[in-house]
Amino acid sequence: MSDTTAPAVELDGITKRFGDVVANDEVDLTVEQGTVHALVGENGAGKTTLMSVLYGLYDIDGGTIRVDGEERTFDSPRDAIDAGVGMVHQHFELVDPMTVIQNIILGQEPTERGLVDEDSARTTVEDVCDRYGFDVDQYLDTRVEDIGVGVQQRVEIVKSLYRGADTLILDEPTAVLTPQEVEELFDVMEELTASGRSLIFITHKLDEAMAVADEITVLRDGKSVGTVDGAETTEQELARMMVGRDVLFEGQERTTEPGEEILAVDGLQVRDDRDLRQVEGIDLSVRSGEVLGIAGVDGNGQAELVEAITGLRRVESGTVSFDGADITTASRRERIESGIAYIPEDRQEEGLVQDYDLVRNALLGNQTIEQFVDGGFVDWGAVRAHAADIVSEYDVQPPHVEAEAGSLSGGNQQKFVVGRELKHDPDLVVASHPTRGVDIGSIEFIHNRLHEMRDEGMAILLVSSKLDEVQKLSDRLAVMHEGEFVDVVDPDDVTEEELGLLMAGRQRGGGEYEQPGEAESAEVDGGAGS
Amino acid sequence: MSAASERARAIVDRMADRMLRASVLERFALAVASTTLALLIGSVIVWATGYDAVEFVSSLLYGAVGNISNIAFTLRQSTMLILTGVAVAVAFRAGVFNIGVQGQFVVGGFATALTILFLAPLLPGGIVGGVLLMALGTIVAIVAGGAYGAVPGLMKAYADANEVITTIMLNFIASGVIYFFIDAYLRPAGTSAPNTESFPEYVGLPGFAFGSSSFSVIGLGIALLTALVVYVVMARTSFGYDLVTSGHQESAAAYSGVDPKRTVVTTMTFSGMVAGLAGAMFAIMILGYYSDPSSFPSFGFDAIAVSLLAANNPLGVVPAGLLFGGLDAGGQYIGFTLDVPAELVDGVVGLIVLFVAAPELFRMSARRLGLGGEDR
Repeated sequence: MSDTTAPAVELDGITKRFGDVVANDEVDLTVEQGTVHALVGENGAGKTTLMSVLYGLYDIDGGTIRVDGEERTFDSPRDAIDAGVGMVHQHFELVDPMTVIQNIILGQEPTERGLVDEDSARTTVEDVCDRYGFDVDQYLDTRVEDIGVGVQQRVEIVKSLYRGADTLILDEPTAVLTPQEVEELFDVMEELTASGRSLIFITHKLDEAMAVADEITVLRDGKSVGTVDGAETTEQELARMMVGRDVLFEGQERTTEPGEEILAVDGLQVRDDRDLRQVEGIDLSVRSGEVLGIAGVDGNGQAELVEAITGLRRVESGTVSFDGADITTASRRERIESGIAYIPEDRQEEGLVQDYDLVRNALLGNQTIEQFVDGGFVDWGAVRAHAADIVSEYDVQPPHVEAEAGSLSGGNQQKFVVGRELKHDPDLVVASHPTRGVDIGSIEFIHNRLHEMRDEGMAILLVSSKLDEVQKLSDRLAVMHEGEFVDVVDPDDVTEEELGLLMAGRQRGGGEYEQPGEAESAEVDGGAGS
Repeated sequence: MSAASERARAIVDRMADRMLRASVLERFALAVASTTLALLIGSVIVWATGYDAVEFVSSLLYGAVGNISNIAFTLRQSTMLILTGVAVAVAFRAGVFNIGVQGQFVVGGFATALTILFLAPLLPGGIVGGVLLMALGTIVAIVAGGAYGAVPGLMKAYADANEVITTIMLNFIASGVIYFFIDAYLRPAGTSAPNTESFPEYVGLPGFAFGSSSFSVIGLGIALLTALVVYVVMARTSFGYDLVTSGHQESAAAYSGVDPKRTVVTTMTFSGMVAGLAGAMFAIMILGYYSDPSSFPSFGFDAIAVSLLAANNPLGVVPAGLLFGGLDAGGQYIGFTLDVPAELVDGVVGLIVLFVAAPELFRMSARRLGLGGEDR
């Protein structure tokens, strides 16, 4: 913290081109010392590019960078770190089999006669943790793969602080966190600014930006739309700046009544990879033209429940029926063929093959569908046309079917997956966190599509940890805690506070479900460390 | 400093872009240029170690393509390397490391030999009998190779046994057991060599223009056809899509309805079938009898290098197999005719392989580092 009067970071007229594409067009950004400055915008608006410029990952085509009042040119992240700029990436850059302390000092190990001096590193790291009230010091000798996502993120932050960062860039830090972990992160951010650090907080969740940011800068199409005061702005104003038009936050009225039962789950018990029972006897039913929402903190058995229904995980006991037929032991492929579409939680690992282009990804899950395969041979022409349909109908950017899936932004990857799954013309859609990491324009689009599908008579099972999402989309809302449904409620007749209590396992007065926390549910791991 | 590094990066970026866009013809030209350059450097090494560099290089070339019988030998080795190379490529493409192609290959050949030797007395002689015996022998070899490949596949899928280790062990088991059977039961009385009887003289592929007893264009044709068929299966069928997707990203394959365990077994079986076909070709086209497998050339291992050079593309295995076949033939010829240490020959051959592989290595690392693309 050299000069306390000059802004921590001052970007002036930053321009960055990739070929013909202008990713940043004369963007200005001023981050005052000791504040949180949120950078919001849709996927592809240029947020990450701008921050990569500040972190020395890209060289610029125009403009100047000042850090603490001093003009700088960064050729590499090393230069940025030397100037006191640190970055926590959305996908953590940690070495899983190494311990936390090894990760923190990696690249800047204190040495004593050529050997790593872990003791002095430990003292330094513990100091950093003490100063900001981090709990990371208790994990120093634990391997990264054995700690939870929230802790991993704090390890990344400690790593940056250890390297002497005064200004920290947090790239969509909440995308991978549970609501509780988000709260913890916000506390950490407060501690950091209180001690004079400056934070740049990249997000596309407006409520989060408004909750923690002193100032909010909105980017759209590579340009800065404006900077507003975090305490004074409204969600509507920000959304308008981001999307360039008014965004409806309300769900649409339904036009049809639910029909017959499509999915029935009875007494389902499922174990996870560590052989712990994660689903403790769930009964549920979804009718055509109906959305059943499942709310809950991540790691309470939702993932295992969804995998058991879609055929990716073996059922321990209980039954799953689809369209009146028992499919408990049916293979994943048989379930796809019979009309169950699945929007998976993890688009990077499951929903898309990262180094396939969109054409080849359009076949994923459709390998046995007659429209694309004849006598074992793939009709690549039909698949290509299908990919092009998805791209245009779901507004996937860039609109090239030859683009590799891995080169698309998260929101566009998600739109492609949603498009592919919904175009199957399924009878049942299982949607797991369908808008995680997606910008609000796309969220609105995906929500509208799901509602249209429901109105066309599809049965939808929606799992999400976003309360506003499940409340808005669901016709009925089940709350899951430690492998059981705590309650099934009418989403229009429940407050967020009530839902929050239910998610924590506390029941509203006298429901028909058992009290959680009893007997065997006590052995269920609450999801830490997964 | 920064300007210089920027310029260097821009140059590397442009080169990577150029390499990634190279056409098939350009890649072939690159391979020829690489071979020439490697031969130049190799001859400097040969000269520096006190041997005649000109004689060395000319012998290498003469041994590979110098006359009709040397060409036949090159193509014979290439035939085997293409078939075994395709077998390796199939498995590697699907993300399964089948190091057991050698074992599946010798099992396939043994199955062919057994079929021919036992059925020959029961079938008519002449062309009809010969074709029938060869066809049956080949089919049995494909089945046997597939079955022997399925074993490590099953062990990996259902017992979590690492296929690299099991396939290597199964190579030794195959050689040992086959040697035992030949030595104990199939060796004609009064002979000491662990060889079976010779196949009837009407069993064998015609040499045609090459006039060779151990090479036939029919064999090469079968190898080329196999490469083409496997390529089509991998690129154009849903079965191939399942396999390749499993190799790229297993979790996405499972999501799409591919059963990962079953895929490991089918991949190993498919790979073993192609290796078995190579064994049939070895028994019928080259040997004409069967022998102790530990005395056979290690086609199944050389095939790993062939497949990697071809980036595990079944069609790419064809030029890679031809190159390796030529180098093998040329190297053996030097061994017969010149008084040069075998290590020197291997060194120069290795240099050529390295040089030819370099562009592909460059492409791979460029792709990994995100160079040469506009979208990053």
